[in-house]
Amino acid sequence: MARLPLLRMISLAFRQLLRDARAGELRVLFFALLVAVAASTAIGYFGARLNGAMVLRATEFLGADLVLEGSSPAREEQIKVGKELGLQHAQIVEFSSVIATDNGIQLSSVKAADSAYPLRGALKSAAQPFAQEKPGGGPTSGEAWVEPRLLTALDLHVGDAIDVGSKTVKVTRVLTYEPDRAGNFYSLTPRVLINLDDLKATGIVQPGSRVSFRELWRGETPALESYRQTIKPGLDANQRLLDGRDGNQQIGGALGKAERYLNMASLVAVLLAGVAVALSATRFANRRFDASALLRCLGLSRRETLWLFALQLAILGLLASLAGALLGWFAQLGLFALLHDLLPADVPPGGLMPAIAGMGTGLVALAGFALPPLAALGRVPPLRVLRRDILPIPASTWSVYGAALLALGLIMWRMSLDLVLTFALLGGGVIAALLLGSLLLLGLQGLRRGLAGASLPWRLGLGQLLRQPLAAAGQALAFGLILLSMALIALLRGELLDTWQNQLPKDAPNYFALNILPVDKDTFGARLHELQAQAAPLYPVVPGRLISINGEPVQELVTKDSSGDKAVQRDLSLTWAADLPEGNELTAGQWWTAQPTGDVPGVSVEAKVAESLKLKLGDHLVFTVAGVNREAQVTSLRSINWDNFQPNFFMIFQPGTLQDLPTTYLTSFYLAPGHDKEIIELSRSFPAVTILPIDALLEQLRSILAQVTIAIEYVLLFVLAAGMAVLFSGLQSTLDERIRQGALLRALGAERQLLIKARRIEFGLLGATSGLLAALGAELVSLALYRYAFDLPWHPHPWLLLLPVIGAVMVGGAGVFGTRRALNASPLTVLREG
Amino acid sequence: MGESILTAQNLSKVVPSTEGELTILHPLSLELHKGDSLAIVGASGSGKSTLLGLLAGLDLPSQGEVILAGHALSTLDEDQRARVRAEHVGFVFQSFQLLDSLNALENVMLPLELDGRKDAREHARHLLERVGLGQRLSHSPRQLSGGEQQRVAIARAFAANPDVLFADEPTGNLDSHTGERITDLLFELNKEQGTTLVLVTHDERLAHRCRRLIRLDAGHLVGPLEP
Repeated sequence: MARLPLLRMISLAFRQLLRDARAGELRVLFFALLVAVAASTAIGYFGARLNGAMVLRATEFLGADLVLEGSSPAREEQIKVGKELGLQHAQIVEFSSVIATDNGIQLSSVKAADSAYPLRGALKSAAQPFAQEKPGGGPTSGEAWVEPRLLTALDLHVGDAIDVGSKTVKVTRVLTYEPDRAGNFYSLTPRVLINLDDLKATGIVQPGSRVSFRELWRGETPALESYRQTIKPGLDANQRLLDGRDGNQQIGGALGKAERYLNMASLVAVLLAGVAVALSATRFANRRFDASALLRCLGLSRRETLWLFALQLAILGLLASLAGALLGWFAQLGLFALLHDLLPADVPPGGLMPAIAGMGTGLVALAGFALPPLAALGRVPPLRVLRRDILPIPASTWSVYGAALLALGLIMWRMSLDLVLTFALLGGGVIAALLLGSLLLLGLQGLRRGLAGASLPWRLGLGQLLRQPLAAAGQALAFGLILLSMALIALLRGELLDTWQNQLPKDAPNYFALNILPVDKDTFGARLHELQAQAAPLYPVVPGRLISINGEPVQELVTKDSSGDKAVQRDLSLTWAADLPEGNELTAGQWWTAQPTGDVPGVSVEAKVAESLKLKLGDHLVFTVAGVNREAQVTSLRSINWDNFQPNFFMIFQPGTLQDLPTTYLTSFYLAPGHDKEIIELSRSFPAVTILPIDALLEQLRSILAQVTIAIEYVLLFVLAAGMAVLFSGLQSTLDERIRQGALLRALGAERQLLIKARRIEFGLLGATSGLLAALGAELVSLALYRYAFDLPWHPHPWLLLLPVIGAVMVGGAGVFGTRRALNASPLTVLREG
Repeated sequence: MGESILTAQNLSKVVPSTEGELTILHPLSLELHKGDSLAIVGASGSGKSTLLGLLAGLDLPSQGEVILAGHALSTLDEDQRARVRAEHVGFVFQSFQLLDSLNALENVMLPLELDGRKDAREHARHLLERVGLGQRLSHSPRQLSGGEQQRVAIARAFAANPDVLFADEPTGNLDSHTGERITDLLFELNKEQGTTLVLVTHDERLAHRCRRLIRLDAGHLVGPLEP
């Protein structure tokens, strides 16, 4: 670079870039980069900020350093040991209960805490909803702090009274933050926090009730470790020790899935944007052949010429990446806002890393996709100024696609951090693109033959598609993918839930009643009868945990990720029954006909649980129930229709085997709408009974689903933008030729209308093909989802046939718009240019 | 007669073709002095542009040598030849070769900017005024007529004050009246700046305004003719 020092080169490149930008040359390239960087930055921030929130709360995640959790209260000596070790102690009890007021009832998640709680972090509360929040404190006896959504649900105000079981407490503050609820994204029910002193008066916690007791500990690491070592051997089956790490792992799993999904969506956006970058960079290079030859004539060396263009692209890349990172940062704010109900309230900012990584993504995409076409500029012989037909020797196909694939691989690896997944996706993507692309090519060729005798606009429009069949197939694939994603979202959001609900019989139970005490059993049943509620039988329930199968501890038999995990990690509701309950069907073995004959009673196991635990008939199981071990032998397996909203059980024992243990009852019933008052009265007369309104739960589920799908649609906007970038860059790359062709046709006497018609046909066909691909794909995916994921009868979705129409209108409109210059250019100017 | 600025010795060009080697320029020699003007005429495909490309160092001969401003071009690599072009050569093309994304002023500024001239803008403006386009500085090439575009190209060619100006059919895309005016401009500037002019043309009237003329026929020199 003897002639041009770097600084002058940069300044020249910058000026040249500004001039090109002013001429509108760089819009599509800039836009494509912007989309790629914005998508990857937004998702990067999303993941980083959520992780940040987790790390920040590593210790306060549990509100303590160590927690002893169990479904029964901790034993005296378990608490004594900790206190002797000098650890700070707090106690909480959590359970679900219906909060009753004169305005209605609301299932809530009640936490009774002593005044020492929390040991790590602090509660935050406000005097009114949305008022300034204040850290510290907690409800004293007679008070309740509640989440704002409870106030909304029951039309309450601070100062009003609510009934928690038999105890009336006054709402004194609005609870805005609990340290140990930070990661609880899927909490369906609002929190009510009361003082532990009031717990007894509620009358809710009775032997056999489903309750979580937590002993919270805080202290120095050695003391904590010594506590852990001391009490670990003596833990009951229903008890476990938790520290911050455990909590993070659980959340990490759920989060990881969400993040991975969003990563995939943004990956699609980045890939499409990459294609757009490649197309527009090729055009950038092609349109600079003349300039390159001219610069060489003006005395620039090959290297200097190349540097000049490379610097232009680099500056453009940097600017677009900066703008994209900024856009991505704003976009993630939107994403957090959309998901505000599901996410922790105060998420730390993500720092600069996601923005830098997003910009890196853009620059790598630019390098991978734009360098090969750019390299051609260095090979333009200066003689081209005299003979314009001289073109640079093309780069080898391998170097072009190799660079692009390398860039893609790097980006995918960064976003998924999973080498196997990257290779699988990259390989699968290339194969799928090749297969579908070839199919599309064949289809287009078939069309060509079929339309040989068609009218002029059809032949012109189709001819344009067939002139660059690869580009056409690529664009059809890109748009097919976008339409497919949108169709699937629509399908999942609306229809699946509706289909499921429509399947329920009209009088399917709309309430569940749990924790019915034996003393209340008959009166509760009688009240339901008085209310003319259609109730299922009252099933006895004993909470118990499966601890061994054929003498081997369950924990060792079940791998962490198997679905059997769920059945052994928590207490199961064990019941007994003389008859096979309605909606159950035996799949193996025999239902008992008499009382147990041998020492070991029989148990009937739900078929899917049996499968995941690899249980067979005759297996010997041990359960721990209320501190004692009970044995049972598998005598039958059952399949259950879960959709009937009847009480269903994984494990049903032979009658008479668990009766001596603390038992509660549960049932489900249907009460026609408009009986809220009766339900309020019912829950007031039976404070220990938890009444779950199913409608409300479904409604909450639906609203959460709606939030999540909005977030997904939001991310899909990036995909759509990237798709648009592909379309426009594709259009741009053919624009010069279109202008020339249009001018020629008009010079030959073609009317403007003919050209418009040909364009409409061309892009309409392209869009309709994409739509058809999308409709077929969506139908296939829906078939798989209905059959295998949701276990619902599949039916065809005729509305998916709208997709080809939508595609034709969308792509057709954009296509005609994108090529309007070709219609408006004066034939004279164009032809004079030769 | 001044010192020699451009010499061609036994220059020939052979290209491979489907029917073996094809000689598109048979050996020829010539010598030009500072301030000289040479017209290369001939039918289409006679080898005119090939000769121009070789003389300007845009292409290398199969045999022979070109000495441009004291540099034997075949001993230089492409980048060194580019340096020679930058310092000594200007071009005017039949198809003008203006950059679409630049306006008239910026097109003329380009070689000056490459040279790092601080007064690029003023100098380019002055040149455009000289060729009569002082009012159209900010117009893009698309907004200019063919004659105007060629005037911009001429201003650009003279901007770096070259020793030799190569012009390839400079009036080929223009009507005869406009062509006449462009020719006048070319020769005026040639005279003002003492540039050596080498032009390829079909236009006999333009050719005869040059001091020297050579005619090519199927790659053969059919005689240097003094005007």
